[in-house]
Amino acid sequence: MSRSAWLLAAVVAALWAVLYVATQIALSPPLRTEVLVITGVAATTALILGFPSTLRGPREPLAPPRRGRLLRMSRAGPDERSTSVAVFGRELPLRSGLTSEAAERTVRLLRPVLAGDSVAITDTESVLAFVGPGSGHHRSGHRVTTAATYTVLSSGRTKVLRTRADLGCSEPECPLHTAVVAPLRVGDRVVGTLKVYRVDETPPARQPVQDLASILSLHLELAEADRERQLAADARLNALRAQINPHFLFNTLNTIASKARTDPEDARRLLLRLSDFFRYSIRQDGQFADFAQEYFFVRTYVALEQARYGDSLDVRYDVDPQVLSAQVPVLTIQPLVENAVKHGLAEKVGGGTVHLKARVDPLSRTTLIQVRDDGVGMDDELLNKVLSGAAPSGGIGLRNINQRLENLFGERYSMHVRSGDDKGTTVDLRLPLR
Amino acid sequence: MDDQAGRDEFDSPAEVDAVFRTQRRIAIGYFVVFVGGMLLIPLATLASEWWEGRLSDWATGFVVAGAGLYVFFFVLGLGAASLANGVEQRMLGTPTDDADDPVR
Repeated sequence: MSRSAWLLAAVVAALWAVLYVATQIALSPPLRTEVLVITGVAATTALILGFPSTLRGPREPLAPPRRGRLLRMSRAGPDERSTSVAVFGRELPLRSGLTSEAAERTVRLLRPVLAGDSVAITDTESVLAFVGPGSGHHRSGHRVTTAATYTVLSSGRTKVLRTRADLGCSEPECPLHTAVVAPLRVGDRVVGTLKVYRVDETPPARQPVQDLASILSLHLELAEADRERQLAADARLNALRAQINPHFLFNTLNTIASKARTDPEDARRLLLRLSDFFRYSIRQDGQFADFAQEYFFVRTYVALEQARYGDSLDVRYDVDPQVLSAQVPVLTIQPLVENAVKHGLAEKVGGGTVHLKARVDPLSRTTLIQVRDDGVGMDDELLNKVLSGAAPSGGIGLRNINQRLENLFGERYSMHVRSGDDKGTTVDLRLPLR
Repeated sequence: MDDQAGRDEFDSPAEVDAVFRTQRRIAIGYFVVFVGGMLLIPLATLASEWWEGRLSDWATGFVVAGAGLYVFFFVLGLGAASLANGVEQRMLGTPTDDADDPVR
């Protein structure tokens, strides 16, 4: 029994205890037993139905209220600055990258925090957002016109502009007199500037602007790291697609060629299956797919392999109805089945059976997938090599799959491989339910 | 069987066996719900005095036997049939969502 099931059992027991005390001991005279039974059954049913939702934790729709709070904070007065800075640090407006929308949200958030009348953010070419006096001619989307900005972009140093001449604004009616321009960096590259203007002769304090520019730079670096991580995940998926073994294609085509004379109808079926197989492997553009689709991909693969191996390859599927609509990472299950066939059963005299079992645990909100074979298995040394990617021929994608799951789920998944000489291999995947 | 694109479908014994197991799981699950529903009736009669007169002027047993049971059976049957059809559609044959794909 899983940990969540024990927890549920404990909560139900506690509920009945509380009801018993409330209806039979605390009250005098006690209520009738029927009342206790009916109330208990109703409360237990409600608890069991609601328990998985409780375990699931906070829902994503909580996000919009947080955005609302962010907008409210942007109108806060100077006395709320420290709170605003704290909220600003948590909200990470530029976490999604240096875009106009994110810059717009950032300048609105920063304006009350900094002692400036106008705040702007630029990239290396144009103004992304501008708020405050002067926004009539310093418009978002326009090219950067001030020479000082280009100086900061090229030198990477903060610049304090103390006169209108230093600002270099070509608009004669521009109300801005002084400014601090700080660079925004990603690593060693300067990717933009944060500009704080004032309409009087006293320039804004340099240090706070510089500090906030550093925080924004950190956000931008995190956004860059996210983007790189996404690219790496895509690259791993593409590598997995490319790893579809050419030998598999040759063998399947040979099988089809041999059947073309003896059983043309079967050969036609296999060609259609082969077409389905490659169609699925190249058309998956996202990271997730319904389990039903992945199951179809596995069935297609197994049908092609069974044409080759005949009765020596047996497959048993055991699939929960709830799991069919669960979202699982694409190209995750088929490589596991392929490993079981190629490394577990192909080398075993007389063949064997591959078991694919899929379940949903509604209490812990996880999808459980098990791929098991009764093939030749591996000793501990080989298993460690396969898991570390050091095995020369073994583990197509095992390490790749593990890395992809780590990228997608972080710590919220588990993948266990058990094996022994002549004892077969079992791979257990536990993924968060989506 | 033929799909919408006129392509003949062939399901292997292992695939049909898998659907059978899943359908059996569904049937057992819904049977448990059915038994649970039936057991609720004698349980509810423990508080028959409370129920009496609350649903209508008719006797509670008459309301349950005359309408309540049929509604329960209908909802249960509808749920089981929908799930069983969905499972068969997803576990057998070729997904038909790309029938208009020009490649095919």
